[in-house]
Amino acid sequence: MTSKYLSNSALKAINRIGDLMIPRNGEFPAFSEVGGITYIDELVSYAPGADIKDLNMLLTILAFMPTFVLRWLLGKMETAMENKGPLGPIFRQLDIGLRGLIFSCYYTEKVPTTFKGKKPLDIIGFQLTRVED
Amino acid sequence: MLDYIIIGTGPSGGNIAHNLFKAGANILLLEAGKLFNKKTFPRTEADTSAMLYWGGGIEFDTDAKMGFLRTRLVGGTSIVNQCLLDRFDDIAFNDWKAESGVQWFSPENLAPYYTKVENKLDLHTFTPSDMNKNAQLFTKSCDKIGVKWGYLRKGQNDCANDRGNDCMACLGGCHRDSKQSSYAGYLRDDITEGLNLQTETEVHQITTNGDTVTVHAFQQGRQVTFQAKNIVLAGGAFGTTKMLLQSGFKKQLPALGKNFSTHPQFMSFGLFDEEINAYKGYFQTVASKDPNLRKKGYKLENVFAPPISAAMLFSRTGSYHQDIMRNYTRMTCIEVAVRDENAGEIKVNNKGRLSVDKPFTEQDRRRRDEGRELIANILTNEGAKKVYASPFAVGLHLMGGSVIGANPAKAVVDPEFRLHGHKNIFVADSSIFPNAPGINPSLTVMALAQKLSDQFTGTTYDKQIPKQLSTESY
Repeated sequence: MTSKYLSNSALKAINRIGDLMIPRNGEFPAFSEVGGITYIDELVSYAPGADIKDLNMLLTILAFMPTFVLRWLLGKMETAMENKGPLGPIFRQLDIGLRGLIFSCYYTEKVPTTFKGKKPLDIIGFQLTRVED
Repeated sequence: MLDYIIIGTGPSGGNIAHNLFKAGANILLLEAGKLFNKKTFPRTEADTSAMLYWGGGIEFDTDAKMGFLRTRLVGGTSIVNQCLLDRFDDIAFNDWKAESGVQWFSPENLAPYYTKVENKLDLHTFTPSDMNKNAQLFTKSCDKIGVKWGYLRKGQNDCANDRGNDCMACLGGCHRDSKQSSYAGYLRDDITEGLNLQTETEVHQITTNGDTVTVHAFQQGRQVTFQAKNIVLAGGAFGTTKMLLQSGFKKQLPALGKNFSTHPQFMSFGLFDEEINAYKGYFQTVASKDPNLRKKGYKLENVFAPPISAAMLFSRTGSYHQDIMRNYTRMTCIEVAVRDENAGEIKVNNKGRLSVDKPFTEQDRRRRDEGRELIANILTNEGAKKVYASPFAVGLHLMGGSVIGANPAKAVVDPEFRLHGHKNIFVADSSIFPNAPGINPSLTVMALAQKLSDQFTGTTYDKQIPKQLSTESY
């Protein structure tokens, strides 16, 4: 897939980080298997241009990092709330930013038809009823 | 020339624009976001965050320990909140009076304005039949351990809950127009009748010249200016304060940006063996209403979170994360909302972006920890096998930054809602809150807006003060 806003490297980084955060596990498909990233432009298009530029740059850097570095980074992000050092705020922002992106593309109603498995929202049993009249 | 420009369309701006429009004033209403209606509100959680909020869903304090949720659309916060409408009590107003020196802060003096707003909106006080299992377990456990609770009052008229509607959907805007947002309650019909509303117009500077105020804005990428005899800033704590800071008022008003508070909320989830389906039915029907907790400075709210938000609240990933999410329908949730100290400060950095310092004080921490401990006790008494306390603080009630007060050295807005030293710039939104009231702010924002509206239109009340209907009682 391609994106109007994010580079191919950035998309690759999202899938790599997504699979580290949400690997295939029991009935849960891996992040990249679901393909929710297909609709990422719908989310990114509302962000200010400067934010999109920053996101692209960050993801492009992450795309070229070896997996063990990404794992180390995820570990730092997971414990960021307890990090009292000068890098604490950076890890915390990274944590919320990246998890927000990944979870938004995973726990989503918008899944491409190429995905034949059970959607993560169905696996967790989330079925919202809207009575619209 | 326009009589008034009102900037912002939330609980304050919506009310004031409606009242001035009905009074026949020549007004212009500006909004940075877009206009959505019940047909066009987003239908997914991810779209809601991206489309309706600044910062793509969340903004941070400078330490990134707290996330702020701030909306960007016609109707503002009132579109996405639960529209829980309670009056403030003596405790809140006495603290405001002490901090600000504004003598008219009292439940009695605000009663006529509260009543006017309450009479305009459809209100519903929840009953036992409205409670979902999340609420039933909460109240049962509170009764068992001696925590007083009460039913909430919400602005709504037809949620179709009896037909299976799940109100969690209205976190992205009510698709039934049942929720009494400032759009559904005030602006929708006015827009149809010709109210001059311009959306996607972000104000970045205000200048004054004698009897005229000029508003400078970006409208869909191009620079525009508007002039009026008066302006009303109603962009909330962040929006209003940012506009004033960018316009250079900090030199005259040193208190500008200070005294920010936000009722930080910390959610804890309880895991059960059986299905709870806490996201089903009414989203929020009960809360603690306990005088002891009020004195201690926190309250407990029986809430839940949609999947992406729930996933965000647990700081782990991988199989730990999946194990939690697998049990999503077997979770209950309670949050502690802290009545925090107003130690925060709103600034604008050299890139023109908001920068918010929100230190979590020792008192705030103590209140959070006490609340969490009580929640763990309640959840365990409910029968929870395990309790997950989220480390993340969320600020939904953004208050202060342009506080009201008699002394211009310590306040930004005078007791008649005027910017100190400026006869034609007014503010009556949550940015003027002197400190955190510890009660949901929406109704009081609307009551203050009503007071300013009446000041504009010359409406007065006789000495017969209407009966006080529903002060937050403990």
